[in-house]
Amino acid sequence: MDKLVIADKEFNSRLLVGTGKFASCEIMAEALEKSGTEIVTVALRRVDIENKNDDMLRAIDVKKYLLLPNTSGARDAEEAVRLSKLARAATGINWVKLEVTPDPYYLLPDPVETLKAAEILVKDGFIVLPYINADPVLAKKLEDAGTATVMPLASPIGSKQGLRTRAALEIIIEQANVPVIVDAGLGLPSHAAEAMEMGADAVLVNTAIATAAEPGRMATAFKLAVEAGRTAYKAGAAAAGKRASASSPLTGFLRDTQKEE
Amino acid sequence: MEVLKINGVEKQFPAGQLPSTMAELLEQLDIKAATVAAEVDGQIVERKKFAETKLRNGQSIELVRFVGGG
Repeated sequence: MDKLVIADKEFNSRLLVGTGKFASCEIMAEALEKSGTEIVTVALRRVDIENKNDDMLRAIDVKKYLLLPNTSGARDAEEAVRLSKLARAATGINWVKLEVTPDPYYLLPDPVETLKAAEILVKDGFIVLPYINADPVLAKKLEDAGTATVMPLASPIGSKQGLRTRAALEIIIEQANVPVIVDAGLGLPSHAAEAMEMGADAVLVNTAIATAAEPGRMATAFKLAVEAGRTAYKAGAAAAGKRASASSPLTGFLRDTQKEE
Repeated sequence: MEVLKINGVEKQFPAGQLPSTMAELLEQLDIKAATVAAEVDGQIVERKKFAETKLRNGQSIELVRFVGGG
């Protein structure tokens, strides 16, 4: 598979994996391994002083995976910028998945606050990967503001509904000069394959892997689907048609055509 | 009594026993410095400066770490 390049950094895998909702660190580690991913997302939360449970980072080999902290929980640009800076202090790297989701029911991203935060963070030297609704105009504005990618959603986070935003995603992919990572709502490997066939540069999957009965096996399935979709895209699919088009020759049949006349 | 507000909760220390630095506070709380990021009164403190960051009575401290997320 051809390499994915984000902010001059090369990746062999086009599958980003989120680390939420796994039943245990061990199950997560196995799923990350099987997925072949090189970029994993994490969230930032207050340390529970009274209950200092295990540090989940021990299960993530930071030499093997690029940690991509998200700004989940941020309701506006100010909170997202604050979380980004804390994440940078914690990781020592300046990559951030920017998400600003004030709406608790659909977790849809706020376009105005996301753009505002992106402009501030880019100026501050961050590599910004913004999570957005599938809005081609916003995607262009973020690209112009200097974000490293755009990450439009397929459907609401964790909903597993697949590519509900297909038409808008097609426009975003057509117009983008930065990698387009389809994020959120991919529930099945076939959804991921479909996004990749359309020309998405990568996909991000969390819930569909983490909540499968066997996350490790599902991670393998997503890995294969992403590779298949990307390969098909590069192979150049022929356009669909309305009528049948015979695959076998229409000559040399075992009948005498003259007698039929 | 002296007090530090840690992650929104006030923690009291007998007079004279307030941790003198961020590094000392983390040690008292049994938190590995390598896994957290910290703010003092809204200002980020870099990890390499934990040992030299002095704490004072009444300050507000945020300690965060990574958890699973998408």
